Amino acid sequence: MNSKHIQLNSVTKKFQNNTVVNDVSFDIADNEFFILLGPSGCGKSTTLRMIAGLEEITSGSIIADQRDISHEDPKDRNMAFVFQNYALYPHMNVRKNLSYSLKLRKITQNKIDEKINWVTNLLKIKELLDRKPSQLSGGQRQRVALGRSLVRDPIAFLLDEPLSNLDAQLRVEMRQELISLQKKLSKTFIYVTHDQVEAMTMATRICIMNQGEILQIGPPQDVYDQPNSIFVAKFLANPINNILKSNIINKNNEIFIETLGINILNEKLIDLSEVFFSIRPENIYLESYDRDKTIKVEIMQIENHGHELLMTSKLINNNQLLYFRISKENKITLGSKVTLGFNVEDLLFFDIINERRIK
Amino acid sequence: MKTFISILLSLSFFSVNASSVTLRAVMENVPDTKFIQELLPEFTEKTGIEVEFEVMGYGEMHPKLVPSLTASKGSYDFMPVDFYWVGEFDKAGWMMSLDDMIAKDSFDTSVYFDSLMDLTGRVGDTTYMLPFYNYAMGLTVRKDLINDSTNQSNFKARYGIDLKIPTEWNEYLNQVEFFTDKDKGFYGVVNQGGKADPIAMEWSNYLFARGGSFHDQNWNGLLNSKEALEALNDYISMISNYGPLGAESFSFDEAFNVAAQGNAYSYLTYNWFLGSYNDPDQSSVVNKMALIPVPGEGGLNGSWGWSIPTSSPNPEAAWEFLKWVESPDIAKRRAEMGGAATRKDVFDDPDLNAKFDHYPGLKKLLATSKNFPVFTYTPQFVEVMGTELSKAVIGEQDASTALANMNEQLEELAAKDGKR
Amino acid sequence: MNNIQSNDRRFGYFFVAPAVIILSLVILAPIVIAIITSFYDYTLINRSLDNFIGLNNYFESITNKKFLHSTFVTITFVFFVVLFEFLIGFLIAILLNQVERFRNIYYFILLIPLLINPVVVGLIWRMFLHPQLGILNYLIGFIGIEPVNWLGDPQNAFITIIFVDIWHQVSFMIILLLAGLASIPEEPYEAARVDGANAFQQFRDITLPYMRPVIIITLLIRLIFALKTYDLIYIMTKGGPGDATDLISYYIYRSAFIGLDLGQAASMSVILLFIVCIIIYPLFKYMSRADE
Repeated sequence: MNSKHIQLNSVTKKFQNNTVVNDVSFDIADNEFFILLGPSGCGKSTTLRMIAGLEEITSGSIIADQRDISHEDPKDRNMAFVFQNYALYPHMNVRKNLSYSLKLRKITQNKIDEKINWVTNLLKIKELLDRKPSQLSGGQRQRVALGRSLVRDPIAFLLDEPLSNLDAQLRVEMRQELISLQKKLSKTFIYVTHDQVEAMTMATRICIMNQGEILQIGPPQDVYDQPNSIFVAKFLANPINNILKSNIINKNNEIFIETLGINILNEKLIDLSEVFFSIRPENIYLESYDRDKTIKVEIMQIENHGHELLMTSKLINNNQLLYFRISKENKITLGSKVTLGFNVEDLLFFDIINERRIK
Repeated sequence: MKTFISILLSLSFFSVNASSVTLRAVMENVPDTKFIQELLPEFTEKTGIEVEFEVMGYGEMHPKLVPSLTASKGSYDFMPVDFYWVGEFDKAGWMMSLDDMIAKDSFDTSVYFDSLMDLTGRVGDTTYMLPFYNYAMGLTVRKDLINDSTNQSNFKARYGIDLKIPTEWNEYLNQVEFFTDKDKGFYGVVNQGGKADPIAMEWSNYLFARGGSFHDQNWNGLLNSKEALEALNDYISMISNYGPLGAESFSFDEAFNVAAQGNAYSYLTYNWFLGSYNDPDQSSVVNKMALIPVPGEGGLNGSWGWSIPTSSPNPEAAWEFLKWVESPDIAKRRAEMGGAATRKDVFDDPDLNAKFDHYPGLKKLLATSKNFPVFTYTPQFVEVMGTELSKAVIGEQDASTALANMNEQLEELAAKDGKR
Repeated sequence: MNNIQSNDRRFGYFFVAPAVIILSLVILAPIVIAIITSFYDYTLINRSLDNFIGLNNYFESITNKKFLHSTFVTITFVFFVVLFEFLIGFLIAILLNQVERFRNIYYFILLIPLLINPVVVGLIWRMFLHPQLGILNYLIGFIGIEPVNWLGDPQNAFITIIFVDIWHQVSFMIILLLAGLASIPEEPYEAARVDGANAFQQFRDITLPYMRPVIIITLLIRLIFALKTYDLIYIMTKGGPGDATDLISYYIYRSAFIGLDLGQAASMSVILLFIVCIIIYPLFKYMSRADE
């Protein structure tokens, strides 16, 4: 098992004077489902395209299977690319779309037919073989795009937001299919998305990017539980995370967090006067009896999500907002004042200046 | 009272304007038209008649005229008629006879050269036009080269005759051969071999020079004669041996430029080109070119005639204009400005002769010029000549075949026109 | 059809009516008149419809050697002109499509010949091609080539007018083809690059299929206009030398206005119209099929 199947070393991309990808480095191991996650314009697609060879690297290097492929043509890298808009050849039917790359490599017709057979069975698109792309639905086109990459038997699959043009229901289905497909094929998948639900559910490791830089890499749960910065904490949240500000007062052994009105033990906070902190909505409870601390809030907004309620509340002594989730059986009214419970260990602290987590 | 008078005055003003006529005509974009335009205000002052010219290139005139001529009341009151069109216009009955008006006003048409009256004056026994300006063709030669003593002695040594202004055709052919020096880029002659007008017009001179003609009085073709064959062989030889590359496609301005830039000894052309040779803006051989009649038995005549269309809205006023523009005084003044006159009295005038020293030569030229066949299908025949001559010149067919074709088609067209 | 729909329809007719009327008057009526004229012995000197001669004019035209020669010359001319304008135009369009900076400047420069009136084009080139005084022979003299008789030699003249027409009209192709190229999405090309297609294969499998409707329209339009080439011949060669460049439009014009035989000229025009329709029809059918 190669822990360094694909490596990026200090890869940078500049368009004229605009640095779009800045000094990006990571290693991807064999058979990983590696997901680049970030908001629009963060450089994740550009990074993927550089791995594919569709964009030139300004500086740095890309190694695959111990071979420096930094300046190789896309076709020599033997990687498959699935586009956001599928990029099917509109004047060829599905069969020709699937067999195009094989024909170019002069593979015999028998082998081609075998592969097409296999792929169309795998993706259940056999009945579509004679149709043209314009006669397919979105989901069908997506499968054909996938199929086109599957027939090639590449060393890695690169997917650029392949699900973002599908409706919500189809997206959930396809997520499952992609996960099982990757396991079945035992191939490296490098995937780009701005949807953190996709990243959380599919990735073996996620890589969060913003403004051309890597912010954090790690298994989804780790990154979720231990975000390195406020940006990561905010971005990886479903639907939202609580980030609040507080003054800190040093009282001999203990630290007083003014906003929450609590004292805690934390040596890292001793020399600070102000701090950001986060606590996930799911870690705030209506029953406070077996929690470390409590906080009084006033209910400002109730959002019914069908299976649960998302509450927006305001801290009584502070005015900052706090979100929390409760089951729909609870009958709490707007404007009422409630006491919530939470555990100190669920608090994460972030530096007031550089917004990085204080560990 | 004041109101009454002013109303009366304005009404009378109106009526005067209502009775004043404006004559309209299509005119060619040539110097002779410009000279008349400068004199028009005098005509208006004298007669109260306004005149408006629509000036355009030759190619646009015929298409403009025809619709007006076929209407019962046309847009044009008088018109210049090119000799090409005389047959057609006559056949279609588009020209008004001028006999009565000439008789009534005792207009003297004997002042015109006979050849010009035959070309654009009379058709049969009726006078339909007054000759307007001429474009007879003559030979232009480099008199400075003729007068050069070295040339004279070399020429005499080689050919045994004197080098002088040529009067015989063979003499001219010798001179062409003598002056050609292709290595130096100097040619004995430059021809306008382009289809259809240039080559047809130029070659007609060669035909006449050799003593040939197009047809007899009964319109039997004479183009298969010995003289015609000699003329065509002359022409082919001129272009191939003594002329510049590309003369087979030259129109007259391209050929003119070769001569005007000093690269040719001679150029057979329209007599009015003399003015352009002596214009330093266009030529580098100012005062070096002489205009002489085509050596041999005469060159090709050409002219325009004034006519009144049968569809003219104001024929009487049009006749007033014709009388004025062709009056001795106006004719002389037009010639003075540089116009190509059609009247013998202009050429005899002492003042003009003092001003233009080429006048005696030009008068002789006009007196000896011969006419092109004038009938309904003249333009068509020019096209035919253009094609057949051009093919002979480039070697696609031999000279006798070309002449036989031309002869046959001339007789066909004449028959179609009812001439034979 | 209910009230709203029939109202809509009437409104539509109303809107289109002025244009249809004008088009009928300006285009349809002259065609009909020409067709009618072709069945009569109608000349410029005797403009009357007294002499019905049926298909006589057509018969004379088809057996007229000069007419057939002109047709042959025209078809050859059109073939080469459209072919080369297409190939050169396409090449330039492809190159221009890849240029990012200064594209508008190149575009404008390439457009200039097309904007020049054809008469002026003919006159300018006549000057350039003068065997002794023109600039072209002057320039090629520098590389040791003898002066060429561009318009005086029959073969040269034919090639020369093809060349001048290309110079004049190629930008027409460039504009249309460039518009077509610019509308092709980038992604299929990227997919092809990943799949392993080289430049030629990308051109064959992506560019050409996308461009098919544009190419056909462009060829069609240019073909029709090329068949009508007149100004160039009128200015540069008058159909000569001999009848080497006697294109059909010029021949028909001369029949009408010099030969004065409008009826015969009309019959030739109708025959030409017929030929054009035959050429266009299969292309037309191909277009509507390709649309599905």
